[in-house]
Amino acid sequence: MAGLLEIHNLSKSFDATKVINDFSLEVVEGTLCCLVGPNGAGKTTTLDLITGRIKPTSGKIIFAGEDITAKHEHVIARAGIGRKFQVPAVLRDLTVRQNLEVSYSRQTNPFWNLFKFRNAGLKEKLDEIATLAGLKDRLGERAGILSHGETQWLEIGMVLMQEPRLLLMDEPIAGMTEGEIEKTARIFKDLRKTATLIVVEHDMGFVREIADVVTVMHMGSLLAQGTIKQVESDPRVRDVYLGEQEAA
Amino acid sequence: MGNIYHNKTAQWIVYAVFFAILAVIPIKIDDSFLLNQLATYGVYGMLALSISLCWGFGGILNLGQGIAFGLGAYGMAMTMQMQSQDASNPIPPFMLNNSLDHLPLLWQPFQNTTAGLILSVAVPTLFCAVFGGIMFRARVSGPFFAIMTLAMLSAFYTIIIDRQPYTGGVNGLTPPSAFQFAGVEVDPYSPTAYWVVFCFLMGATVVAKLITQSSFGLVTQAIRDDAERVRFLGYSVAGYETVIYTVAGLIAAIAGCCWVMLVQYVSPAQLDVSFSLSMVIWAAIGGRHSLLGSIFGAFIIQGAQSYLGDTFLATWLLILGGFFIIVVRFLPNGLASLLESGLGLLAAKRRSSSAAVERNGDANPMPAE
Repeated sequence: MAGLLEIHNLSKSFDATKVINDFSLEVVEGTLCCLVGPNGAGKTTTLDLITGRIKPTSGKIIFAGEDITAKHEHVIARAGIGRKFQVPAVLRDLTVRQNLEVSYSRQTNPFWNLFKFRNAGLKEKLDEIATLAGLKDRLGERAGILSHGETQWLEIGMVLMQEPRLLLMDEPIAGMTEGEIEKTARIFKDLRKTATLIVVEHDMGFVREIADVVTVMHMGSLLAQGTIKQVESDPRVRDVYLGEQEAA
Repeated sequence: MGNIYHNKTAQWIVYAVFFAILAVIPIKIDDSFLLNQLATYGVYGMLALSISLCWGFGGILNLGQGIAFGLGAYGMAMTMQMQSQDASNPIPPFMLNNSLDHLPLLWQPFQNTTAGLILSVAVPTLFCAVFGGIMFRARVSGPFFAIMTLAMLSAFYTIIIDRQPYTGGVNGLTPPSAFQFAGVEVDPYSPTAYWVVFCFLMGATVVAKLITQSSFGLVTQAIRDDAERVRFLGYSVAGYETVIYTVAGLIAAIAGCCWVMLVQYVSPAQLDVSFSLSMVIWAAIGGRHSLLGSIFGAFIIQGAQSYLGDTFLATWLLILGGFFIIVVRFLPNGLASLLESGLGLLAAKRRSSSAAVERNGDANPMPAE
């Protein structure tokens, strides 16, 4: 199977600092790839580059055969990439229902949306996602008053409402309880049937549970890639990342 | 049972009642001077409505709404001026005073009333689309956009004063006779003029309300909340901002046309910074998140200015300023939020009392067991 997302020799410098240095990655459709690495390794920056939030200094990003390098955020999102942010970003002044509704972004043209008052298929989808995210009873609440865990779920729900082909999840389980983490793992594994995922996570237990492929980044470059077993037994990985975690 | 303030049906009923009251006015009042004055309030209401749409719902603070209003007003004044000219006397007197010996190209389309009306509305709207498009694509937002609109407004103001032979300069334009449309003269002091304004105000309000309830309205509210996040949902933020800014500009342009129809006069004062600021103050005091609240804000502030302004003279501005500070400090979302929280409290009270009834209802079967 060809890679749904291909990153070729990506580099990004801020002034003289190279944050991403000749990084390449291929993510196969229908798999779950975990992106791990110590703080400052460039994981979130990589997601920023994929989603167009920042533009790369050099290199190429191909999504589903299409070059999306340095395209606008909304163009990339429309191509089928959804993202959950590290610091959960929901629309705090809107209700939970409105957050989910606006994420169901099948029609993005402002002129068409002027004349659109009912959204076909929205209700079923919203029910499904709200149930999945455990927010069924909270639909009328303002998103700003949700707890941290609920906010995480809402944002995951928003990404799911988008029905993207590729989901980028930046630290999705931060602030979740054990039970919620288990549920998240189950949902992510389910999602693989219809979508592809890249998950940035520090919790190695969670990574072990869900990852098909683990990619280790260090200093903006690819350090190692493979199954969780291969990566864990790699001495370089133990050196820069896992060893450090065990010591902590 | 939620807060009835957020109930769409209830909102439409309030709108209907509001416009029904406005419709009764010309039947009950035969003071033509008063009727004319109330009609100008309708124009101010339209302006407050456009600010509410742009700022309250779109999150775009626009301190230069006078551009669209002023351009519309000038277009209308030019149209009305040319209605008083004829083949024997094709050049408006002020041009002759400025030693122009032929009608400038800029004025020629206004010889035709229909073309003049179309231009009066189309030029400001197009301006908003282009200016907004450029600004929003460059991601100019928040206070920076407000400053840009202010700068643009001052530029127009200066140009109009400076180009006296074409614009009448500081004196502005004073078309000598009332607006004529399809052979009918619209006397500014007649109920007809009131009805014209009423229809446009109601039309604009209904359209604006529908916009806020459409999918488009939801997206603009999301953008107001966090524009950055909305981009990652696939929406072109610049596109949405441009459309809402342009629709607001269109409403303000129509208001400009209506205003000149009512007062037969336009001057650079309509593009003065202080006038554009008062539009923002109307919306802020009435409640920018509520279309009707903003219109109401314009009514009470302008009404108070007309009646109390004469009594208090210069102190009036101090009173207005003080009132504004109080509202911003204690009611940041304007008078409409007073109603919202009041109805919210009511709903909460009802909820807790009905919950108490349910608890009692649950408790009752217990002893029977």
